[in-house]
Amino acid sequence: MEQQLSALQQKAQAELAVIRTRPELEAAKARFVGPNGELTALMKQMGTVPKELRPAMGKQINETKVRVQAEIDAALARVAEAEVAAQVGPAIDVTLPAPDPGPGTFHPLTQVREEMCRILRKVGFAVADGPEVETEYYCFDALNTPADHPARDAQDTFYLPPEADLANVSKRSAGERYLLRTHTSSVQIRTMLKGPPPIRIVSPGRVYRRDTTDATHSANFHQLECLYVDRNVTVRDLKALLDYIFTSLLGKDTKTRFRPHYFGYTEPSFEVDLSARHLPKVNKEWIEIGGCGMVDPVVFDGVGYDSKIWTGYAFGMGLERLAMLLYGIDDIRYFYQNDLRFLRQFA
Amino acid sequence: MKISRNWLQSYVNLEGRSNDEISRAITFLGFEVESIHLTGAPKLDAVFVGEVLTRNRHPNADKLSVCTVDVGPVHGVKTIVCGAQNYRVGDRVPVALAGAVLPGNFTIKQSKIRGEMSDGMMCSGKELGIGEDHSGLLILDHRPALGLPINEVLPPGDAVFDIEITPNRPDCLSHLGIARELAAWFRVPLNYPEVMIERTAPSRDADRHDLLRHVRVEAPDDCPLYLARVIAGVKIGPSPAWLQERLSSVGLRPINNVVDVGNFVMLEYGQPLHAFDARKLSGPEIVVRRAVEGESIVTLDGKTRALSSQTLVIADAVKPVVVAGVMGGENSGVDASTTDLVLEAAYFRRQSIRATSKRMALSSDSSYRYERGVDPHALPEAARRAVNLILQTAGGQLVGPQFSVGGDVPWQREILLSPDFVNERLGFAVPAADMKAALESLELTVAREEEGASGVVWTVEIPSWRDDLDRPIDLVEEILRLHGTERIPASPVIAPGLPENDDPVVDYNRRALAYLVGHDFHECVNYTLRSAREAAVTVDSSTVEKLALSNPFVEDQSHLRASLIGGLLESLRLNQSRGLSVTRLAESGRVFLEREGRLLECVAVAFLMAESVSERSWLNREPADFFGAKHHAHSLAALAGLDLARFTRPVVGGECRQWQEGHAGVAGDLGQGWRASFGLLSVAAVKSLGVSGRVYAGEVILLPEKVGAERTHRRYKPFGLFPAALRDLAVVVDESLPSEEARRALVKAARAVIGPAFAIERVAVFDVYRGEGLPPGKKSLAFSLVFRAEDRTLTDEEVNRVFQALQESLIAATGYGIRK
Repeated sequence: MEQQLSALQQKAQAELAVIRTRPELEAAKARFVGPNGELTALMKQMGTVPKELRPAMGKQINETKVRVQAEIDAALARVAEAEVAAQVGPAIDVTLPAPDPGPGTFHPLTQVREEMCRILRKVGFAVADGPEVETEYYCFDALNTPADHPARDAQDTFYLPPEADLANVSKRSAGERYLLRTHTSSVQIRTMLKGPPPIRIVSPGRVYRRDTTDATHSANFHQLECLYVDRNVTVRDLKALLDYIFTSLLGKDTKTRFRPHYFGYTEPSFEVDLSARHLPKVNKEWIEIGGCGMVDPVVFDGVGYDSKIWTGYAFGMGLERLAMLLYGIDDIRYFYQNDLRFLRQFA
Repeated sequence: MKISRNWLQSYVNLEGRSNDEISRAITFLGFEVESIHLTGAPKLDAVFVGEVLTRNRHPNADKLSVCTVDVGPVHGVKTIVCGAQNYRVGDRVPVALAGAVLPGNFTIKQSKIRGEMSDGMMCSGKELGIGEDHSGLLILDHRPALGLPINEVLPPGDAVFDIEITPNRPDCLSHLGIARELAAWFRVPLNYPEVMIERTAPSRDADRHDLLRHVRVEAPDDCPLYLARVIAGVKIGPSPAWLQERLSSVGLRPINNVVDVGNFVMLEYGQPLHAFDARKLSGPEIVVRRAVEGESIVTLDGKTRALSSQTLVIADAVKPVVVAGVMGGENSGVDASTTDLVLEAAYFRRQSIRATSKRMALSSDSSYRYERGVDPHALPEAARRAVNLILQTAGGQLVGPQFSVGGDVPWQREILLSPDFVNERLGFAVPAADMKAALESLELTVAREEEGASGVVWTVEIPSWRDDLDRPIDLVEEILRLHGTERIPASPVIAPGLPENDDPVVDYNRRALAYLVGHDFHECVNYTLRSAREAAVTVDSSTVEKLALSNPFVEDQSHLRASLIGGLLESLRLNQSRGLSVTRLAESGRVFLEREGRLLECVAVAFLMAESVSERSWLNREPADFFGAKHHAHSLAALAGLDLARFTRPVVGGECRQWQEGHAGVAGDLGQGWRASFGLLSVAAVKSLGVSGRVYAGEVILLPEKVGAERTHRRYKPFGLFPAALRDLAVVVDESLPSEEARRALVKAARAVIGPAFAIERVAVFDVYRGEGLPPGKKSLAFSLVFRAEDRTLTDEEVNRVFQALQESLIAATGYGIRK
């Protein structure tokens, strides 16, 4: 019996060591420890063992059983490991590049626009939108642009032919011509005509000037304008907004200054300069960044707001110019070429 | 406008102020200083007047001379090696001796030149920093005393500010105007030029009276005031040095004393004046009238110009002699032979001059000022100033009366201003006394002060040259300018909350772009204006016409875009041509579409997926395909709340201009406010735009007014927690039948037989089969069906019953076959 046990143990050890698959393992398990297995058969012979030898023999059988079970467990672990290895395949060179394109990138103009909108959203400006094909009323008349102002010339502004007819851009009068808006200020007029103050909007968008395209000019560019109309809006509030915008954008040591200027739709009017550290390719202390002013009472009268009650400010700037300053881009045309080497830099 | 510092000095004392300080003042008064140009001789030490005593050839260099030069009693005679050729023995020239520092930081030392000792250098104008002449030595023709420091001989230094004058301030298109602003800024007096009242007795020479007898204004609307004086017996010649210097300093070429005086007074007062030769008039008469169609004139620039019936001209009895306010005619110009002049000073309506200048494409210093508005009240004064200067510089005498046609243009303007109003608008307090001082420094006189119900009210008198000031708010700006915009105090933004959301269009664009960038697309920005050729690839020819601008600037940007895809293809082409592998591009922006003969401005989002033509990869992915494009189009439509799957149909006919028939789909309709197209771009069209490979794309177009106006929160619907029952069903249908039609028929049949008992949750195609076992012209569509009840586990029995019934109902309704 003793010899049988030791032979069984050796046999189990030898057979289990070469098992690689789960069915082989199950078969082996049945052969040794199953109800009809060899060990079970030996245990059944216990009855024939003399009574005084039984404790020692029982101990021996148990030890054998533990050893065989350990061999089975080890074989199971090997099988499980082999299964996973087959499932996952050979090890991967993790330094190989992913073959998919990407990552995707937002255009730098979008990034600058969204950053400005986020900054303005925090102080209560909602983003407004309007058509790019406009009429003379919304682009010029309502903004106090005299009838013979040069900005209206066909030399400076793109017009649609007189017979042009846009179903979803309304005209104020039949004689008006359609044009490509020269500034996003037309959105201010449409917003004011839509409802009463208070109003606080930012209107980013495309604008058009009949201009030669070169490193700093583009017939098609983007602006961003703010309009705030409420009671008791002051010059000081306007300055506070500009300070807020540019310190938010460029850091606390950024400064802005106003220079008196002239625009038909604001009074007083200012040009805005900013001074900031760490702007690439800027070698002047002050850089002109936009125009602003207090909304001219004539504009309020035109949209039916009582200029004795309502006051407001407006601010506008070019997005390309801002992006060029922020990123140190020296040619406006790059924004419109979409060269991947350009786009990827702003991901 | 160029403004000379030396010239300003005649009216406002700027001594002791640096150019930067003046530039800063001008800037903060509201005029941009574009540049400061320094002219005249800089301060030069150790440069003196010398005279060449001898000139001998340099022993070792053909082109050099060795000269002895007398530099006056203090410095004595020096030896100088010189390379110039334009001088002779006896000429007086500037001599820089050792220690002199010439412009460009060029220090003069005693040195050996080709073996000959030289004590210094004889100088050209350029070397001294006066002008560009480097052709030879500056010969001092007027022979100043030997040894004089050169600064006593050369014109003094000047700073010329190039200033941008805003259109509301025509009064500052003059030295006096800028001087007035600076006087106000620095709070120093403004000194007007002294104009002597002319006392010359009218000549008794009868002939001379005949020079001008009548002035008639036939177009008083366009010429409300016209003054003319006759000066006889002038002697035309060069202007005196001071006058030449003034004009040269601001870039005007001196011509002769009379023309120069006209220009000088224009730049001094801002009032254009014109002098013409009285003897060249046909008859002693001046008529201010509109030209007659067919008339023409040769203007002083030598060009023949046709005149129209809208052109205002100054004419004699026969012919036009001046294009009013714009330019004189050659036929009446002042030249060396002129002895008798008519000096004209007029007030023309700005619109009239602007129209003429525009029509003739001719702009002059004069028209520029008239267009922006001159002050009619300064006119007599400017005319007297000019008469004074002409008599001073060209001699002659006034003859005849002053002709003055037209009334005095009335001027009286007062603005009521309350200091409280100023502070309210500024948002900070400026003391009333400071406000008053600011106004009065600009000659805006506070004439009266009254205590009104709501505080003090000032009556401010506005001078005639400030036509731009009309309302209290205009004076707020004046006060702020003089107070200094740099002194606006800092403060926090005060932002009472407003219940406004971003425009839904903006919100949609933002989400659509985030989706695309999240799917590895590169966002592009292309021009809205496209070529006719590109438009023709996108839409039919009648729409191409509607997209055309009336005045394009360049040929390849003549049409509004009807699709974003053209721009994206151009970006693709550019990257391909630069050898850059790019596959996914996207853009959002406005496009213009035609519907029922009218254009619509639409919001669009588009993307394209191209085969990577240049880049090889160690591991190849499945290339882009139709369903990839459909998937993204579907998602983009879903972001706008639209279900693209429900409306998809193949592109046919005209839609195929841009898309490949049989490989592209379209959904929606602009009548419903949206349209989405997706699939393979027309292979021929893509190739014609220079792009290689197949390109899949998608574009979702929305009418802005239809983009999710109201955003409400979704309502939760309960969903079943009991297990679903699954069945598969394959139907045999015509090859041409869209799968979606079969799917809908199936859903319809299922709903009908199930009734309210439970629900068919999902019907989806999982296999499409053609070929063996099927009749020709047929295909098999296999659908998986998911049934579920909300309140219990469905039994096999009831599901089988329904499954059987729905097949029968489907066959009865559609005639589809069932594939077992």
